[in-house]
Amino acid sequence: MAEDLVLDTAIRDWVLIPLSVVMVLIGILRYFVSKLMRSSNQVPDPKMVKEGQVIIRARNLRAAANYIPAKSFRARRVYFSNEENGLLYVPKGQAQNAQAQMFSDPNMAMDMMKKNLSMIIPQTLTFAWVNFFFSGFVAAKIPFPLTQRFRSMLQNGIDLSTVDVSYVSSRSWYFLNLFGLRGLFSLILGEENATDDTQRMMQMSGFGFDPTKSLGAEKDSLDIFQHEWALPKFEQRAEAVLKKLVS
Amino acid sequence: MASHDESSVSRKKSSDSVDEISTFNAENMQINAKIISYSRTFMSIIGGVIAGILGFTGLTGFIFYFLVMAIMSVGLAAKAGFSAHPYFDSWNQILLDGFLGGLLSFVLFWTFAYDMVHIF
Repeated sequence: MAEDLVLDTAIRDWVLIPLSVVMVLIGILRYFVSKLMRSSNQVPDPKMVKEGQVIIRARNLRAAANYIPAKSFRARRVYFSNEENGLLYVPKGQAQNAQAQMFSDPNMAMDMMKKNLSMIIPQTLTFAWVNFFFSGFVAAKIPFPLTQRFRSMLQNGIDLSTVDVSYVSSRSWYFLNLFGLRGLFSLILGEENATDDTQRMMQMSGFGFDPTKSLGAEKDSLDIFQHEWALPKFEQRAEAVLKKLVS
Repeated sequence: MASHDESSVSRKKSSDSVDEISTFNAENMQINAKIISYSRTFMSIIGGVIAGILGFTGLTGFIFYFLVMAIMSVGLAAKAGFSAHPYFDSWNQILLDGFLGGLLSFVLFWTFAYDMVHIF
């Protein structure tokens, strides 16, 4: 049953390559469009910025705590815990405030919608295009064998049931491209590419609830933190390094 | 505390005192992690093209992918002087990071090259 089909060269030229090229180009286009749309942003709320800065300061203290003596660390920690004590009690009244602010703020909702749409629309359009033009024939052969259950998923334009499951339609070529080109985009577009959905979702969901939860979280982690003095052996270490340099 | 490596590749030393507490320079660690993920993606793409041209099918192709990843991990470990500690968080990061994404890119380029060459 597994005879080798001979496929038309024209399929290679006019289906596989154009589809891949189009997907790469659409990815690049989407990246630039998202960069352009992001530049026209709203003015950040000064209260939120202040709270964000306090959190950053607490985090820096935790990160670099081992470089300062124990007493000064404790002094700083008391300063933060007391300061955030006031801030920690406020969020109970502020919790509703933040959420109400998010819902009544049309700008933020619009931004989230825009980002969602800019992700979904190109994918939907490309998928529809592929379905319309490139259906009903075998497009590619996957080099590894699959079970019969994948047949309905991969071969949905092809109505012959005796064709080997390795021969797939162009829809599955589209999906293969969709997942495989992510790596390529991270190479050619640098770090900031908007093709990774999960990253984007995490960014968006963490933005609105920032002040209420993370203040309490920061205070707790600062309280739990065990200070260990990392520098007592530093003189020996400096001596070793200098010795290596000199000798 | 960060000290630059002498070689031209920007691999940064990111941890501190050996016996007691390891302190990491976050920015350097990020750079190192980025380097790993870039090299892994690149190698999986190249590996996919090679596997397709050579005509590997089925299990052989996946074994080839693991082989390429293993060679890359060994190369990375050799570059880092066989000690994960000053440069990375843990050994797992060197060995397994970016594995799945690389697999997808590998399969894509493998299919592509295989079709181009063998079923053309």
